[in-house]
Amino acid sequence: MDILVENSKISPTVAHATFKREFFPHMDAMYNFALKLTNDVDEARDLVQDTCMKAFRFIHSFEPGTYAKAWLFRILKNNFINDYRKKSRGPSKVEFEWVEQSITGDEDSEPAFQADLQAETVNEMLGDEITAAIQALPVDFRMIIILCDLEEFSYEEMARILNIPIGTVRSRLHRARTLLKEALTTYARSKGYV
Amino acid sequence: MKTSCTHHKECLKVIQRILDKEATSAEEAQFLANKDQCLPCQEGYNLEQSLKNAIKTKCSVSCPSDLFTRIEAKLFLVLILISILIPLFC
Repeated sequence: MDILVENSKISPTVAHATFKREFFPHMDAMYNFALKLTNDVDEARDLVQDTCMKAFRFIHSFEPGTYAKAWLFRILKNNFINDYRKKSRGPSKVEFEWVEQSITGDEDSEPAFQADLQAETVNEMLGDEITAAIQALPVDFRMIIILCDLEEFSYEEMARILNIPIGTVRSRLHRARTLLKEALTTYARSKGYV
Repeated sequence: MKTSCTHHKECLKVIQRILDKEATSAEEAQFLANKDQCLPCQEGYNLEQSLKNAIKTKCSVSCPSDLFTRIEAKLFLVLILISILIPLFC
């Protein structure tokens, strides 16, 4: 039984009711995040399902009234890193280099974004085009852009979800956006938009 | 109006913090006071805002309804299992 609802101080019925009330409203957001992380519909489905079962199992450690979405996203992110990321591929060299720079705060090496990408060009782009550019980013940058711009978490919440200092959140987010704009500029040029 | 900004890199960081609602009121006031006089900052602000809006409005998908149903069914099964197992261990 411990496997089903670990160290439970609440009855299974209450756990189920809590789950439905607190967590079900965030299913769309969880699926979105899982899909952007895995780049694969089947893996995203498995990741969401595993996250839900894990959340149910450890529901005793959730404090009702606290931010359920952040709690779920943290489980999902850990689940992805521990299980799914290993299955697909290890982080690329680029990923390591960028993340390392973000962590050490070595920002002088980063040039200011000077591309000729305009707001109007972005406004005209389709969701699929922007999604493809996001999904081409190294996973740590993809993750932070989704958490911030799609799910609108605060820097402090992102720091907790990703288990990194808030300063790293700021620098990683800035680098992620620079990379995204560069990717969109290259794409826009190839299509003759700019 | 200025057509080049010598501290554009720093300005971009402030713009992003403003749009993320993470800037201090002093940072925001200072930027907004200077924005109208600086073309790169205006364009930077518009681009960052457009990109943020595009991600929010164009890049989300809904959870497939069958996945939702599958998770509910799995949770229900767990509840049934618990209700069967509890009497056996108590």
